[in-house]
Amino acid sequence: MWRDTALVAGKDLRIELRSRVVMHQVVPVAVMVLVLFAFALGPDRAPMARAAPGLFWVAVLFASVLAVQRSFALEAPDGARDGLRLSGLDPAGVFLGKTAAVAVQMVVLEVVLTAGVVVLYGSHIRSYGSIVVAGLAGTAGLAAAGTLYGALAAGLRVRETLLPFLFLPVAAPVLLAGTRAWQAALGIGSGSAGDPWVRLLLVFAAVYLALGVVIFGPLQEAS
Amino acid sequence: MSPADPAVAPWSPRATWVVRGLGIAAAVALAATIWLGLWVTPPDQVQHNLVRLVYIHPPIAWVALYLAFGVAAASSVLWLWPRTRSRFWDRLAVSAVEVGIVFTALTLVTGSIWGRPTWGVWWAWDARLTSTALLLVLLLGYMAVRRVPADPDSRARRSAVVALVAAVDVPIVHFSVDWWHTLHQGATVLNANLSPTIHGSMAWTLLLGFVAFTLLFAWMLAIRYRVEVLSEHLQDSELDVALHERWAEGTAPVPGPDGALAGSGRPA
Amino acid sequence: MSYIDAGYAIAFGVLAAYAAILWRRRQRLERSASRAPAHRDP
Repeated sequence: MWRDTALVAGKDLRIELRSRVVMHQVVPVAVMVLVLFAFALGPDRAPMARAAPGLFWVAVLFASVLAVQRSFALEAPDGARDGLRLSGLDPAGVFLGKTAAVAVQMVVLEVVLTAGVVVLYGSHIRSYGSIVVAGLAGTAGLAAAGTLYGALAAGLRVRETLLPFLFLPVAAPVLLAGTRAWQAALGIGSGSAGDPWVRLLLVFAAVYLALGVVIFGPLQEAS
Repeated sequence: MSPADPAVAPWSPRATWVVRGLGIAAAVALAATIWLGLWVTPPDQVQHNLVRLVYIHPPIAWVALYLAFGVAAASSVLWLWPRTRSRFWDRLAVSAVEVGIVFTALTLVTGSIWGRPTWGVWWAWDARLTSTALLLVLLLGYMAVRRVPADPDSRARRSAVVALVAAVDVPIVHFSVDWWHTLHQGATVLNANLSPTIHGSMAWTLLLGFVAFTLLFAWMLAIRYRVEVLSEHLQDSELDVALHERWAEGTAPVPGPDGALAGSGRPA
Repeated sequence: MSYIDAGYAIAFGVLAAYAAILWRRRQRLERSASRAPAHRDP
């Protein structure tokens, strides 16, 4: 299974390296979202800085929808999806591989967005450690749940509108927990500790990774 | 899926009798609940007449969040499990979800109506309301996936996964929103619990309310299940008709009712 | 007082409406399903 994971992840990431769709389209959209939030909340920086954690995670959430859609659009042409199914690769490995590829792209995006938040909103990061852990855990959870739903919606003509509708409610706890963790790390709001929230993000990621591994195979049998 | 039978078997007399009994029992119990709730029981000491909504809101919430959602999630799991897979579970799941949507929406509405005079707000982001609202969205998502045209197996597969993910997600949401309030210093946690001392005729009416709405749910589930069976059959036979008409307008010989190919008359 | 009436009216109104919709849908489907289809699958 792990070998198949590496295979699929490598394939997806190599395609991204060559085509650079996420880098050139998804990341700018996410940064644009940050800019738009500034227009909505500005011009004073204070409201922006206070809202920065939530805005960051909202931008991440929307970007993850795009990243997942892209991940499954890779296999849309020429019956590649059927090819993947019939290739004999372990479905759990395919799931983990695609999830890993999405997660890597999301992490790159988040680094850019973090820099954007610091620059545009004037946020001060107090604790880099918890930012990193929260970001990784949240990303893993989003990538797992997104890949699971992406597989469900793949190949359907309504996929563009269906995927967000399905995925965003499921991703809500990540938004909630991620924002709280970031608030603690940025020293915003009433100082509730960020640790419980990071733990929640880890639980979420574990649950959806496990669920995806179990259910991806049976799901793929849907035509 | 080729329907070999020309018609769907009607319910057995026993099934018809059970469902009819459920419907009548539900109607009687609901009428009694209304009568007791609105007239016979006294106003509460604290909540005055607002307590009357307690006879319908918690029962409706129980049906929506535990009965309907529980049946939908369990049926989906049973369908996904290869050893127990059967169209029965898929049909039961979609029936439970649809009835569940009605009850979940009503949970939110009755809760909102109760909340407005009680706490002064139409809505609050506490754990219960938030996860109920999210459940409604997830159920609507289930129906959206259901509407995508696909063969019954694929459709059942996708729907079951949506239900399963929802079943996993709702507790997580509830838990995290709960934490949100308890960890947030200085927040007022809305106490949505009933007044602890509810006794006498009020307690009996509440119990009756639970029973009545449960019976109603069971009846609605049965009727909706039957609707599902019938509409699936109708879709299959419509497909047959369409196929037959397609053959007829082509140059291929049309298969007769006995399956033998008649001599081909070549249409213009 | 009107809140309670509104609550009861909405709850039972919606449930009654849904029940009626289900019942009518079922009746229509029973009728069209009992008519044997014109063609059979070979």
